[in-house]
Amino acid sequence: MLKRLYRWLDLRIGVGEIVEKELTGYLLPRNINEWYSLGSVLLVIFALQVITGMLLMIYYVPDADKAFKSVTFIMNEVPFGWLIRLCHAVGSNMMVAVLILHMLSTLLMGSYKAPRELNWVTGFTLLALVQGISLTGYLAPWSQLSFWATTVATNSASAIPVAGPYLVEFLRGGKLVGPPTLGRFFALHAAVLPVVIAAFIGAHLFLLKRTGISAPPFGREGTATPFEAQQYHYQGHPGGIPFFPNYVLQDLSSISIYFAVFLAVVFFWPGMPFTPDAFVPADPFKTPAHIKPEWYFLANYQTLKIFPSELLGLSVQAAAMTFLALLPFIDRSPERHPLKRPVFLTLVIAGILLWIALSVWGHLS
Amino acid sequence: MTRKMTLAILFLAPLLFLQPALAAPVEQPETVCIQCHSSLPDRLGAPVNLWRGSIHAENGISCNGCHGGDPKDAANAMTPQRGFLGAPKEKDIPGFCGRCHPGVYKDYLSSAHGRALGAGGPTCVTCHGNHQVVKASLALINEKSCTRCHSFERAQAIRDAMQQTEEYIDNISRRIAGFQASGVDTEKMGKSLFAVRNRFHTLFHDVDVARVKGESAAINKELGKLDAALKEIEQSHQKRRVAGGIAVGFMVLLAFLFHLMKKSYD
Repeated sequence: MLKRLYRWLDLRIGVGEIVEKELTGYLLPRNINEWYSLGSVLLVIFALQVITGMLLMIYYVPDADKAFKSVTFIMNEVPFGWLIRLCHAVGSNMMVAVLILHMLSTLLMGSYKAPRELNWVTGFTLLALVQGISLTGYLAPWSQLSFWATTVATNSASAIPVAGPYLVEFLRGGKLVGPPTLGRFFALHAAVLPVVIAAFIGAHLFLLKRTGISAPPFGREGTATPFEAQQYHYQGHPGGIPFFPNYVLQDLSSISIYFAVFLAVVFFWPGMPFTPDAFVPADPFKTPAHIKPEWYFLANYQTLKIFPSELLGLSVQAAAMTFLALLPFIDRSPERHPLKRPVFLTLVIAGILLWIALSVWGHLS
Repeated sequence: MTRKMTLAILFLAPLLFLQPALAAPVEQPETVCIQCHSSLPDRLGAPVNLWRGSIHAENGISCNGCHGGDPKDAANAMTPQRGFLGAPKEKDIPGFCGRCHPGVYKDYLSSAHGRALGAGGPTCVTCHGNHQVVKASLALINEKSCTRCHSFERAQAIRDAMQQTEEYIDNISRRIAGFQASGVDTEKMGKSLFAVRNRFHTLFHDVDVARVKGESAAINKELGKLDAALKEIEQSHQKRRVAGGIAVGFMVLLAFLFHLMKKSYD
């Protein structure tokens, strides 16, 4: 039956040709490893965020007076509403975590180097966009946690000289976080950012297809044709392994492992994305004792606190982010093996340790 | 290599600016009452230290909260013009405390303790202390305190009846708080627990054994309804965990199968 359908389609639209070109004939480096499947995992996570987000929108009301009640309704009355919401909230955290792992593997295997600078830049932009969509989604439930985290986050823009106070007011739609803030954050979260993110994912994948996949700098002997910056050429891997079925099975295996971890968090640690303040309606007149951002913003939060002026803290963060975003243009040596790049490796490890230390400090302080 | 070193220095240089946040706890300025009296000897100075260990101090209620007067003006702090009241006479004590605790005052007055006011009966400070005011709890009903005036049997019976109810209330309150912190809609349960707890608190100054026993039993019955509702939620959460365990197991199995299939192509 399937064979007949396949033949029917092939006769009309040439499915066989596509399969040959994109699946069985799409060859990957023979020494490709598991880390390369994180991109597929991220695609699945993004899709799941979109689907759960759409389902949440059925009952969620983006109105400051009704938002909290509507979320409570989803969690308690809507059949499986709790599951959808937990998946969305846990999924956003996992998306950031997997994104960081994806970037780290790119960093350590030197895949960001020429000719893939643009892949890195689009990927880095995606990180910023994902942080943005997480931040704007945070306000949606209109809880104490939402309200005060958004107050703190939008307030940090006030450190920018001259434009700062205006920028804060523009972000909030008023002097303080209030109903207009919810309106604009919801529009960004549910309409603007998903489209922009999807567009950047498209660009990221387009670039991947045009440049060809990079071969890991270690493992079994490479199959890649080396890159020469004289003219455009697709970096193929003759003699490599086919994407389908070989690497698709790796992708599926990684996605299943991801789901095992994800579902374990959803079912056995459902409080992970929340603090108790997340279940108290927003109250502009009552500041909770310890208001802290999400784990992935803790380092930024602590940086702002330890510098004598907010502007300096903000500048250092901006400098660090710019440095990372432009890394492929700064680090131009063709060597990609991490152990043959000791200074780079030391910097990466120091950077990670610093980030962890700042996050822990921010969490404890 | 030198360029990399420069980059390393540039990248790490900001660390030089790191300094621990200055976090000195800000203390509340002391009232003039505390400032003067803490250096006075005996009867005039002793209340300060007693007060420091009281539930009043814990809640930020200072001397002027009860005794009136002006806590900011040392010269006139204790003039009646500034509302200074001084210490109440024994039979005025319940009224003195009752300004802030009207419900308790009413319960006390209608109890055997309250009816014996002025005729050797206990006042608030007999059990709760005067400056080192102790929070109302069942621990205050103890043999040492009660036998100052009468035998302990009746008090013991009251305490036993209330102890069980209090533990029950604590247990339910903890469970509701736990569910609330995980997104369960506990508003209705919270409200009904609040009502039950208030009803229970009116018993604290009642010394009628039969009434305390009867009321405690009625309250326990109310609590039983909440308990059943909570159990139902607990069961549904347990079911979710079982389903979750199966789902996680299934995913691990899938991962393993895909891995084996992939191996077969190597």
